[in-house]
Amino acid sequence: MIRVLKLEFYKIRRKKIGLMLLLLLAAEMMWAFMSTSVSISRNPDQAVWASILFTTSSLNGLFMPMMTAIVVSRLCDMEHKGSTWKLLGALDVSRGRLYAAKYGCAAVLLLLVAALQAMLMTAFGLTQGFTDKFPVEWMVRYIAGTTLVSLAAASVQQWISMTVRNQAFALCLGMLGSFVGLTGALFPEAVRQWLIWAHYLELGPVTLRYADAVGSFAAQSWSPGVAAFAAGTALVCFIFGSLHAGRKEL
Amino acid sequence: MSNAAVIQTSKLTKKNRIHELDLEVREGEIYGFLGPNGAGKTTTLKMLLGLVKPSAGTIRIFGENPAKHRSAILRRTGSLIESPSYYGHLTGLENLRVVQRLRDVPDKNVEEALRIVRLEKHRDKKAEAYSLGMKQRLGIAMALLSFPKLLILDEPTNGLDPAGMEELRELIRSFPERFGMTVLLSSHLLPEIEQIATSVGILNEGRLVFQGSLESLRARNRGELRIATGDNAAAAELLTTRGLRPELREGRLVLGPLADRDVAEINRLLVARGIPVTRIEERKKTLEEMFLELTGRERSL
Repeated sequence: MIRVLKLEFYKIRRKKIGLMLLLLLAAEMMWAFMSTSVSISRNPDQAVWASILFTTSSLNGLFMPMMTAIVVSRLCDMEHKGSTWKLLGALDVSRGRLYAAKYGCAAVLLLLVAALQAMLMTAFGLTQGFTDKFPVEWMVRYIAGTTLVSLAAASVQQWISMTVRNQAFALCLGMLGSFVGLTGALFPEAVRQWLIWAHYLELGPVTLRYADAVGSFAAQSWSPGVAAFAAGTALVCFIFGSLHAGRKEL
Repeated sequence: MSNAAVIQTSKLTKKNRIHELDLEVREGEIYGFLGPNGAGKTTTLKMLLGLVKPSAGTIRIFGENPAKHRSAILRRTGSLIESPSYYGHLTGLENLRVVQRLRDVPDKNVEEALRIVRLEKHRDKKAEAYSLGMKQRLGIAMALLSFPKLLILDEPTNGLDPAGMEELRELIRSFPERFGMTVLLSSHLLPEIEQIATSVGILNEGRLVFQGSLESLRARNRGELRIATGDNAAAAELLTTRGLRPELREGRLVLGPLADRDVAEINRLLVARGIPVTRIEERKKTLEEMFLELTGRERSL
């Protein structure tokens, strides 16, 4: 299994996945930094770690579904394009193993994105001279929450990308996810709870509370329900996606 | 020569496509699996490799059941099925490295495979920039990489120019002796199989209509005797009274295969009755005609 996973990293060379992720990440973080800088210039009280964590978590709803769709789609598309299913099958790489390896590869890349975001936020906070103590626990929670939601989104994406040859469908789903992630807060709770892309903010360590029309940052406790929903979605979609992809004859 | 069977199937069936196939490929053979397009060759090969599940029947490869010993069988089997599979964004060398990592074979195998298919000069070129012939050769290099005991090639000369086809034929012909391989090769082109194969299986509409050596296929062709006379009607009547059953075709009386002695006797009889014999011909069918007859297709394949 490890061999097949390592091979996925070998196979994605020259696919420019890293470059695409870095470009999107750069756009997102620049947006987050500019928005936070403007807030700080208007209100110096905003020069706290919570501000950048909250802003980035909200922007993740827009950017992460797109990044997830791109990563997964690029990983699966190379097998469709080269008709390599037969080649791998004849080399005793089952569809199930391949499916798991691709998911593992996507998971590592998405974890790296979340970790890189945390590092960039740290660098931003240090250069801005945030007044409060560096929140190690929040950063870990941020990485865990972002990755967990991305893993759930990736399992949905991979199901589509593996079973539908035309990757336009998968990328459209990613765009739809971005739309839902961006506008998630506008949906009623009964609907939002079922939309996996709307959970980046809910699994983040910081929330915004309003009192007398004034919003202030507040610590948000880890929501076991949302986390369980994300993990459950990831697991269920992974299992059914793997079974579905494995059942297709070559 | 009766080497051990490397591939043996019994009543191998795939619903609506393959019907009770009893295939037997012996060690060291180059087995030509022949059939028109759509006959079920690729489906059969996929079943042998475990890529498609049979509906019924059994398969034994190296004496083992693929359902139970798939990994062990595939470790000793190299294959190229349908169009070559490759990662277009990777170079030829990197494509081979992918297979190398899965096969766990040394670097020298990669070099050797590249050399055999003559892709050394194009090793660092992206596979998507290869010509169809080069892609085909890359596919063969991938199949060869572990120098397996069994090599399964599905229409390997597809897309090659005549020189490339001949080169590949020579290469495949050398495999049993050079590397101790058994080769199962499918094609819809009889001349191709005729030039390479030592044994042949002919598949038509999912059924094996012939299996055996090329010699035994030729031996089935006993030919027919064609006689032209000055009065075919009278000659036919005369020969019928002698227990023969001539057919009148294209101005000739066509008889089945006859011994030389019988031919001489017929000639003597006709001349004795005053029927002039103007031609006596023996006509044997070409392999092509036999193939078309066996597969029931008279048009171009």
